[in-house]
Amino acid sequence: MTFRLTCPVCGKRDVYEFTFGGQERGPRPTQEGLGAEEHFRWVQFRLIPGEPREEWWYHGQGCGVWFRTTRDPVANREVEGGDGDG
Amino acid sequence: MGMGDRDGAGVVADRAGPPEGRLPGGPTCRVDFSRPLDFTFLGRPVTGFAGDTVASALYAAGVRIFGRSLKYHRPRGLYSMDGESSNTLMRIDGVPNECAETTELRAGMSVRAQNVRGDPRRDVFGFLDAFDRMMPAGFYYRVFHRPRRAWPIFQNGLRRMAGTGVLDPVGFGDGGRAESGVRAERYLNADVAVIGGGAGGMAAALAAAESGLRVCLFERRGWLGGHLDWRTRDFDGVALHRRGEALAARLLEARSRSPEIVKVFTSSPVTGVWGENLVTGFTVGTGDDPFRECHWECRAETVVVAAGCMDRPLVFNQNDRPGVMQVGAAWRLARTYAVRPGGVAVFSVGDDLGLEAAADLAELGVEIRAVADAREVGRQDAELVAALEERGIPVLSGWAASRAMGRGQVKACELRPLNGTGSRRFRCDLLVANAGMQPRIGVLASVGARLAYCSHTHGYRPIELPPGVFLAGSMTGLRDPRSIEASGRLAGHGAVTCCLDGAQERAGKAAATGGREAEATDRHGAASVATARRDADALPGPVAGCGIRHGPGIGRGAKAFVDLDEDGTYKNVVESARQGFDVPELAKRFGGFGLGPGQYRVAGQNLAMIMAEMRGDPVEAATPTTMRPPLAPPSLATVAGPNHDVHKRTPLHGELAGLGAIFRRAGAWERARHFSEDRACRDEIRNVRRNVGILDSSPLGKFRIFGPDALEALQRVYISDMRGARRGRCKYSAMCNDMGQLVDDGLVVREGENDYYLTTSSGRAGPTVEWFRYHTRYDGWDYNLVNLTDVLGSLNIAGPNARKVLDRVTDSDVSNGGFPYLGCRRITIGDGVEARCLRLGFVGELSFELHVPSSYCRYVWDLLIEAGADFGIRPFGLEAQYCLRAEKGHVIIGAESEARVTLTDIGMGWLWDREDTASQKVGAPALRACEKQPGRMKLVGFRVDGSGRGRNGRDGGGPGSGSPRDGAVVVDGGEIVGYVCTTRRSEALGWRYGMALVREGVVGLGGRLLIRQEESPGRPEICTATVVPPPFYDPEGGKPRS
Repeated sequence: MTFRLTCPVCGKRDVYEFTFGGQERGPRPTQEGLGAEEHFRWVQFRLIPGEPREEWWYHGQGCGVWFRTTRDPVANREVEGGDGDG
Repeated sequence: MGMGDRDGAGVVADRAGPPEGRLPGGPTCRVDFSRPLDFTFLGRPVTGFAGDTVASALYAAGVRIFGRSLKYHRPRGLYSMDGESSNTLMRIDGVPNECAETTELRAGMSVRAQNVRGDPRRDVFGFLDAFDRMMPAGFYYRVFHRPRRAWPIFQNGLRRMAGTGVLDPVGFGDGGRAESGVRAERYLNADVAVIGGGAGGMAAALAAAESGLRVCLFERRGWLGGHLDWRTRDFDGVALHRRGEALAARLLEARSRSPEIVKVFTSSPVTGVWGENLVTGFTVGTGDDPFRECHWECRAETVVVAAGCMDRPLVFNQNDRPGVMQVGAAWRLARTYAVRPGGVAVFSVGDDLGLEAAADLAELGVEIRAVADAREVGRQDAELVAALEERGIPVLSGWAASRAMGRGQVKACELRPLNGTGSRRFRCDLLVANAGMQPRIGVLASVGARLAYCSHTHGYRPIELPPGVFLAGSMTGLRDPRSIEASGRLAGHGAVTCCLDGAQERAGKAAATGGREAEATDRHGAASVATARRDADALPGPVAGCGIRHGPGIGRGAKAFVDLDEDGTYKNVVESARQGFDVPELAKRFGGFGLGPGQYRVAGQNLAMIMAEMRGDPVEAATPTTMRPPLAPPSLATVAGPNHDVHKRTPLHGELAGLGAIFRRAGAWERARHFSEDRACRDEIRNVRRNVGILDSSPLGKFRIFGPDALEALQRVYISDMRGARRGRCKYSAMCNDMGQLVDDGLVVREGENDYYLTTSSGRAGPTVEWFRYHTRYDGWDYNLVNLTDVLGSLNIAGPNARKVLDRVTDSDVSNGGFPYLGCRRITIGDGVEARCLRLGFVGELSFELHVPSSYCRYVWDLLIEAGADFGIRPFGLEAQYCLRAEKGHVIIGAESEARVTLTDIGMGWLWDREDTASQKVGAPALRACEKQPGRMKLVGFRVDGSGRGRNGRDGGGPGSGSPRDGAVVVDGGEIVGYVCTTRRSEALGWRYGMALVREGVVGLGGRLLIRQEESPGRPEICTATVVPPPFYDPEGGKPRS
């Protein structure tokens, strides 16, 4: 855990300054008529492919923004060109 | 002198003549004979000198056996002078496993040997050496587990007999002062981090510094110069050490010109290189350094690895005898520490450096009987061979040491040819042996370079370097000092170009202009690299190394050690391979090779080469093993760090302390928990119920949310319909997570158009902004959420007299009619302090909470204490509040709610606006799904049968008292069906109440709970309780409304 992330506001900073917000999984499903199974799938289930994926990170010890970036979980690095996307 | 300010080039001159047993201090000597230092070894007085290490001083004083080995308790002596074996790990000032070879001598040190009782020359476990048959490779796993019940006996016995130092957890041995020294941390940023302060590293640092980039150079020894430091041989008419000093002087001059750009750290081993070039290590404090050891981390754009070479141990029979040492050890003893390494010596080497060392020691008066060189005839530096032969020293090419003789110490040795027959014996007290040099690849492995065996240099070399990593110096197989410096310059320019390219890329992203300028820097960078490469290519390249795997005639009735630290012998390698563990990574686990303090740094290459031979593979198949950080061992205290207790104090901390508060950590805060030694806080509780109490509740989370979409955000995260938040009135609600678990509860007050004030529990003050923003991250809503927790303090007055007290300090209307229960008013206190006043009932009494600017808290506190004097006002703490609210059945998150229960399970489902699906409330779908689920845990109130007074007359429950305590389990027919969350005895009620989470359906209202706890291990005790609905105290809720 010594890689860096690119905050859209503050630039490249040590990962210690950030909180992990999970994989990108899209907005919460509409609750009207939402089945329990479907809801729990959205809350709990993740595919973990060993390839770069989009994630949410929060710059808690910085500007306080949630942003999306792409990280390669195998190399444990932000993928280059992963400009923060608030 | 602070870290990095040391005079790395300064060589201590010979100010006084050499004392007895010492060589005359030459130009490379770092010991100052004018400054004697007294210390003790095994309680006996010994004298060394400033500049000595513990080991050099002991060796000069005639100590040859420094400790005993791990398994066989064999005597062990000085070996590397660089801390590359556990032979010389000693107990210094009560701290175990200090490396005597590298620890600077200080006056008054107390030094003891390890893994031995008393004097290492006589060891009671020495007989173990003869029992090696019982300890084959992997013996720990294979031998001692049958019969099964014998294992604990073996285990304890082995633990006592084997091992290195012993940590004394009580009092830290003789004084404990050593470990208690100041530990520091430092965080650095660099464009170029250079690892290694030899010629290659210094040249790289200088090249980078010339470009104006930030350079940090880390050198593990206390001075710069690397191999050049102790070499007096002439090169181009200049002594080699002078060449090193000149480079160091240039680097230090560059540092003094721009100390912010160039930083040089000596006595600073690197422990590892991590993701994106984070270089970590530590600096050992010397001189006036304000710390004993300092951990540092350096975030570098690029890294130049110039870690140099070390002796590759020669594996031969009895190669661990004291008196057998590596070339660097003997040479540095003589040249750096002016200690005579021996009287009569034999050399067995595999590198020109070894020949140079032999010639140099001969020059210093050591009698050398013979020099064996494992390389074939003609591969040696002819000048050195001639110099040796001139002195009448035979040079035996193609020969190597096959055996050391002597029991406690080397008395003679045997040399044999590698191919062919015959042998020669020599009497000697020093056998200087190596198999040539091997690169220090630890750092390379740590940066993630792919390594392969090079059959030219006979060392590992990287076949691929990660981006931003450059290699320089003798690690690459270079030996010519000019080539080494050129490789450093090339690496330095490469790093600079890499940094500029990176900067250019970033600049290009920021603004796609300035292309021409960037191109110019690019051309310049490329040109410097090209020039440096031309220079380097014109100089001699890597020299051919020595591929000897072990000495001739190995393993014939004698132990030959591959790994000194773990007592791993050649025979163990054979056994390991025979049983199928024939690659180093497997042998490591099976036979323990490389598991010791050396962590493969020293033994790794030999093990791989020998393993390849056993498999019948060519030597190129020698695969490097994983070398894990720390590459050098920092002390445990340094790893633990300065251990600052970072916490927050409320604005009223001083006032509370003055009133005798006992503070405890609660989350980020230090909070008043009790105001007397009575942990049940009876007086504090009674006073709230009868008169009035005052509580410092400043850590309470306080926020303002405003903006066009503020209400949308509230609707999303709160479980209730927040349109109900009105002016002048507190709306109580809760937040759930996506699993429907309660995460927070608090109040929301509307203060204006799209403008709300809200409170959270103390523990949630930190994550609330993150929480709101996370759950609205897709919506693009326009709102601002401001954390006012530290801006506003909070004081709570509670009790029947609360209004009377408040009335005295404000002119505002605080009557029940003008300011009803759950009202929120702006009132003016004293001389005009504006306060938000919230009328609440958390503790079940008439209560007002005042939120005032932090800077006015003490003023308001003093006013209230003064006004309340006539009404019996007294402070109360967290524990009293905890009991008071529990009597009311009010839930605290983490006490009565947990991960298995939802909002509805703990009886707070009434907060949930179940009609609302449009707001997409966080947690609502889970609540809906779990609401009707059978068998869930539910929160119930209970009354313990009987008075609830313990048999011992104390109110505190617990084992043996006949009353349950927090955490006791609820049982039903031998099955655990729940547990007690909170239970206390209430003076107001006269009985013991509690709340428990119990599986639904086990017991109903009025039913009986069986609570089980263990009086003592194996002696269960059952308490019974009756299920009653909370609140227990004032069930009608009249008191807070009065």
